[in-house]
Amino acid sequence: MKYEGREILSEYAIKVEGLSKTYGSVKAIQDVTFTVKNGEIFGFLGPNGAGKTTTIKSMLGLIHPDNGNILINGYDAIKHGKKAKEYVGYLPEKVAFYDNLTAYQNLCFYADMKQVPREICKPLLREFGLADAINKKVGGFSKGMKQRLGMARAVLGNPSILILDEPSHGLDPRGAALIRKKILQMRDEGTTVFVSSHILGEVQAICDRVAIINKGIIVVEDSIENLGSKLRLKPRLIIELETEATNFVETVREIAGVEKVIAHGKILEIVCNPEAKAEVVLKIGGMGEKIINIITEEPSLEDVFLKYTEE
Amino acid sequence: MNTEVSILSNPIILIAKKEIMDCIRNFWIITITAIFVLLTLIESYFGSVFSTGWHDFGATISFMMLSVEWIVPILAFMLGYAAIIGEIERGSMSALLSMPINRVEIVFGKFLGLGGVLSLSILLGFGFAGAIIGIMIPNANYGEYLSFILSTVLYGLVYLSVAIFFSTLFKKRATALGGAIFLWFFFNMILPLVLLGIAVAGKALPDIINGNVPDWYYVLQLINPTSVYSALVSLNVGLELMETVGEYPTFYTTELLVTVLIIWITVFLILTFWRFRRKDI
Repeated sequence: MKYEGREILSEYAIKVEGLSKTYGSVKAIQDVTFTVKNGEIFGFLGPNGAGKTTTIKSMLGLIHPDNGNILINGYDAIKHGKKAKEYVGYLPEKVAFYDNLTAYQNLCFYADMKQVPREICKPLLREFGLADAINKKVGGFSKGMKQRLGMARAVLGNPSILILDEPSHGLDPRGAALIRKKILQMRDEGTTVFVSSHILGEVQAICDRVAIINKGIIVVEDSIENLGSKLRLKPRLIIELETEATNFVETVREIAGVEKVIAHGKILEIVCNPEAKAEVVLKIGGMGEKIINIITEEPSLEDVFLKYTEE
Repeated sequence: MNTEVSILSNPIILIAKKEIMDCIRNFWIITITAIFVLLTLIESYFGSVFSTGWHDFGATISFMMLSVEWIVPILAFMLGYAAIIGEIERGSMSALLSMPINRVEIVFGKFLGLGGVLSLSILLGFGFAGAIIGIMIPNANYGEYLSFILSTVLYGLVYLSVAIFFSTLFKKRATALGGAIFLWFFFNMILPLVLLGIAVAGKALPDIINGNVPDWYYVLQLINPTSVYSALVSLNVGLELMETVGEYPTFYTTELLVTVLIIWITVFLILTFWRFRRKDI
């Protein structure tokens, strides 16, 4: 068969260099550069309108960038787009189908295009929770159903690289969980996943590395842990006490390495260096207070994101 | 792998097949076919003001030429005006372009599929009506009738390629429809008037009315596909009942007229590709 499935031909799954695109006088993206390694889940983050979709559309030849190079599995996506696209499954930001055709007919059309046997279409529809809608026209589908069908289309033929533009958009929590599970499963089977989002929670749960784009410019590209430590983001210590937490604010604030102390009711929230955590607990215990519970929160991607995209 | 399978899995063929299936599902083919059957039978039976009853192919064609000249472009426009812009507006173009396919293959696939729909409707519609007329009249000249059908197919494909080009020209389906309607008026109303205007300016009008059309005016008329089609049919079908304005000049050969129509198709397909290739989706 012509379709080669998960064939890895290059050190990097995706390599984007110096990509720029201007619409009229608006610079949509400027000098966008990043690399996605084989077999990783790469998060592409940014607020709405930051240039995520422009970058993704350039990777698929939907728009023509003014400058820059894109390599997909080693193939030049601009000059040899047809070849590069053989390795890609894509979920667009705005998922659309042929409304006059059923879910099954739609999926079969794309399966033919990808030269994938039609037999996989029905099992795939069932896997994405569309068993009851196989023979229904897509015109009557809800946003969530279209998104599930879009995901089924993207994974047709187990592509080497999955490019997903806001995959949980319009999905209920169950649908979002289903897609998250599928992404992880495909990664485990060797697929590289490039996923864009403005919702940090979903990305933090699954991504190995991320790039953050803001106003058309890549502001950082790294693993989530590295991002946290680079920014010296500190863990958060949440301590539940038996009495009012306000009584302890002064004492805790004086401990070296403590950055911030907030009290709400019987909860004390402390931002501090990891080394200061034990000292905080000891000090409170030393004051004769009973500690009911301690929770430590690692720095979240949200903190990183806000730090990088703030004015 | 055998070649039969690989041809059927070619992206151009897959897109063409989908267009044809769509037009079967939404009753397009059957509707256009019915229109042509009815038109032919009605013109053949009632077309003459002197006598009712079945007429032979030559007479039938001359009765219905004027109607065919404007109906075929309208059907071609209706089929093609949304070919590209419709998919962009609906959003399905993003997914289609993410498949292993080139843009030129999309254009060819659309033209092949919609052209197939139009050709099939013309062949079926006129063919079915022709079979009935053939039973009703003695000594039917099927050769003449077949040349009329093939000329009509070619004529339809010209306007289809124009319509598909228009579907890449505008940002919205509605504007593309408006553009196509304008174009129909242009070719069927404005262009003949412009050519007539040129004839007046060239002081050729009295000659034309007297049936002595100068050669340069015939050359000029080659830019109007409708005139070319009309001449092509007249040359190949004995239109004894049609009011012809003099004899066509000797350089008006079937080969030349067919070539002109094919050039029209080619030029507009190239223009379509040129427009679509640069388009950001």
